[in-house]
Amino acid sequence: MSLALDGLLAISLVVLALQVVTGASLFRSIVMFVVFGLVMALVWARLRAPNLALAEAAIGAGVSGALLMLGYRRLRAAGPEATRPGPRSSRLAAPLSLLVAGLVASLGWTALGLPEALGAAGAAVVAAMPSQAVANPVTAVLLVFRGYDTLLELAVLLVALAGARAVEGPAGPADLAIPTMTGLPIVGALLAALVPLSVLVAGYLLHAGGNAPGGAFQGGAVLAAAGVLLVLTGRLVPHPVPGPVERWGAVLGLLVFSALGLVMLARGQGMLSMPGAWSIYLVESAMLVSIATTLVLLLGAAPGLRRGPLP
Amino acid sequence: MSQAAIYVMAAAAVIGAGVYGLLVAGHLLRKLLAINLLGSGVFLLLVALAGRSGGAPDPVPQALVITGIVVAVSMTAFALALLDRLFRETGQARMDVADDDD
Amino acid sequence: MTTEASLVGLVFLPLLAACLLWAVGQRAPWLRQGLVWLSLLAPLALLLAPTLALTTQPVVEVVLAGHAPPLGIGLRLDALSLLMLWLVAVVGAGAGAYASFVEPPGSDAGTRFWPPWLLLMTGLNALFLSADLFNLYVAIELVTLAAVALVAWSGKGAALRAAMRYLLLAMLASLAYLLAVALLYAEHGTLDLYLLARGVAAGSDTTRIALALLIVSLLLKAAIFPLHIWLPPAHARAPGAVSAVLSALVVKGGVYLVYRIWFWTLDGAQPALVANLLGALGACAIVYGSIAALLQSRLKPLVAYSTVAQLGYLMLVFPMTATVASGALAWKGVIYQLLSHGLAKAALFLAAASLLRGVGSDRLVDLAGASRRFPLSVFAVGLSGISLMGLPPSGGFLAKWLLLEAAWIQRGWVWMAVLLLGSLLASVYVFRALSAMMATPGDDAKAPVDAALPRPVPWQMDVAAVTLALLAVIAGFASAPIFELLNAAAPFPRVESATPISERALP
Repeated sequence: MSLALDGLLAISLVVLALQVVTGASLFRSIVMFVVFGLVMALVWARLRAPNLALAEAAIGAGVSGALLMLGYRRLRAAGPEATRPGPRSSRLAAPLSLLVAGLVASLGWTALGLPEALGAAGAAVVAAMPSQAVANPVTAVLLVFRGYDTLLELAVLLVALAGARAVEGPAGPADLAIPTMTGLPIVGALLAALVPLSVLVAGYLLHAGGNAPGGAFQGGAVLAAAGVLLVLTGRLVPHPVPGPVERWGAVLGLLVFSALGLVMLARGQGMLSMPGAWSIYLVESAMLVSIATTLVLLLGAAPGLRRGPLP
Repeated sequence: MSQAAIYVMAAAAVIGAGVYGLLVAGHLLRKLLAINLLGSGVFLLLVALAGRSGGAPDPVPQALVITGIVVAVSMTAFALALLDRLFRETGQARMDVADDDD
Repeated sequence: MTTEASLVGLVFLPLLAACLLWAVGQRAPWLRQGLVWLSLLAPLALLLAPTLALTTQPVVEVVLAGHAPPLGIGLRLDALSLLMLWLVAVVGAGAGAYASFVEPPGSDAGTRFWPPWLLLMTGLNALFLSADLFNLYVAIELVTLAAVALVAWSGKGAALRAAMRYLLLAMLASLAYLLAVALLYAEHGTLDLYLLARGVAAGSDTTRIALALLIVSLLLKAAIFPLHIWLPPAHARAPGAVSAVLSALVVKGGVYLVYRIWFWTLDGAQPALVANLLGALGACAIVYGSIAALLQSRLKPLVAYSTVAQLGYLMLVFPMTATVASGALAWKGVIYQLLSHGLAKAALFLAAASLLRGVGSDRLVDLAGASRRFPLSVFAVGLSGISLMGLPPSGGFLAKWLLLEAAWIQRGWVWMAVLLLGSLLASVYVFRALSAMMATPGDDAKAPVDAALPRPVPWQMDVAAVTLALLAVIAGFASAPIFELLNAAAPFPRVESATPISERALP
């Protein structure tokens, strides 16, 4: 019975969440968080949201987990006492959280009983899909109907990167210690297999995103993962001065999306309208490059990257 | 109990866990983890509630949550950069949000 | 330039400037200077067409991507948005000009400072032009991230801690906001503020609770008592120009959204209990903030607590809507408070930063003699003080006078007492600051720790502060066109008209 599977997934989610917040060590909590993200991806698949499942697995579990893990590593490198455990005792915490959970549960339960909304945005999207250039409704919402949201979201990614540069100060970020055994042949073989495969998968996700689950965000995250692998194994080393790829790559999505939108405005067809499938793929490709570049720079905590010395 | 109901209850529990984590955590990384959990719970609630009638899946909440995930990742990445600098400058990675600083 | 292009330009000009600044990196300092100056001054020009347009129609809507709500999202401009956009443009130009002397765009530090600044401006403009709850969420996040990065700019431990606290609380508020959005979407299937209004009247308790949650999250973002704890450290420790923008613009975004939801989305269904509660919180903010400002021994925290107090005035409109006449007056009063406080507080923070730079310390005892060494900065402090205290003919005076009148019509004696007490306390802390600056340095004044101090302050920085403060003071004279604009699309009918609020068609 499928509801049993749902129940199992739901229970796993709750148990994992509790493991994250009550984990004995910080490392354990981060690992549990990544597993939580993966179970979440399964839940999205059960809720018939495959695009979301891909995004959660790639970004929510993958990139977030990598960010937290690398952040943890940096803190440990700065000083072992940085990650010492020790929760604050707070007698308010348990009752308050139970109260919040109870309130949300009762609100949710009431909301479950509400009738379906008339004239809803979702129904309007589904009705408008046949006239769209792409068949994937989520891509249509992200790029066409609510493209302005996506554009602002790209700006949020950029401000995270620009903000990280601003708070690092003139001295730049702390160095990330590269593990010493990256010269092993197995590492080279792994990279030789994984990196091209990641590029292929990213390209596929981008291309398929028009008519099947996928999209620029998911593809960008996979590409970023390949980039992070290269950074972690020393094939790409941090550099204090960003090169042209880092500088232009990070803003390419915003520039292309905005430029296209402004051209359409100038031609009287409305700001940010998408004249055809080609425009959607063009913008998504630019977004893929930007998302990947921004995420790699954030993960590597480096203003720029250069090819590292051969091991 | 429908599928939507199961996930709505799970979402409420995850949100509760996130609030607990936020209150109990002293270390800023743990606070970040708790906030990310809270976010996941809210996203789950959004999509589960929107799909409660069991008809065709509604693409709007799915797109909203994808946007939300990217925003959450951006926030996390920035918060980690801030945490790193904070630790390097002050030697402290713990914070009591309710305390009034000097 | 058409109105549509102007509104699009308000969002996209700073955004594209930020992208180009980032892409150019450390090269072409002349290009960077030019981009920053263009972004600071262009909004003032871009707002002319929309202002003209609003004299003939109450609302301007720009459809994006060819799809109107509920299918798509758009830009929406009415009188309130226009006034907020003007405030952003003017304060942004003044504070930005100030900042460009401290962190020149052509310098190395400038490559790290200006992209977040411009993205902050982008987010603010997007916020005031948006009518979609989720679009507002993304705009708010953009503003928050940029603001936190700028608060942490100095890299000192205290600033970093203040920034982290701000970030954590802002993230919590955003998640509460999203929770409310989830509930509202589940019931109504739309995220457009105006379409939601149609459903709210017939909506269930879930809708009301969701809207309450939304308002609470926005109160946290607007630092309304008792959710204000993040504001004083953050605003006190940020660089001067950043504090100016934070106090004048960023927190006002939260208040603006509360107004939108209360007066437009909840039109006709506002619970009186909540109205009085919000008013009470405002009253507490005024008293607590003013007293806390009095007790500060340094200038910047004093100014930050003054912000907490002055934001309280903005909450007083909610309980004063019992009658149409008082509501109309209170509405005009708080809008004027929004504008004149924005101008005056920005000027005050800029002047405080100048004094800090010149004297080397912002402790009030160390500022003795500042009136002779830095007369322009102290003059700016005095001018902004006039507006904060509510002396005529400043905008602050007009705001408080209108609120007093509204309270009188409604026989709200408590509110009147709070208003008068607030002005009294404001005078006390303003005079405290001014008298510290005008005192002659005595034998117990600290010797300057650095032989290079006191540094002269470039006159351009003082001009920015003085200009903003002057605008706040003469704002009282400019009320007629502003009220005319407000009348066209206010949530209150003109006093002459007899249509009750709940039966007005939505603009």
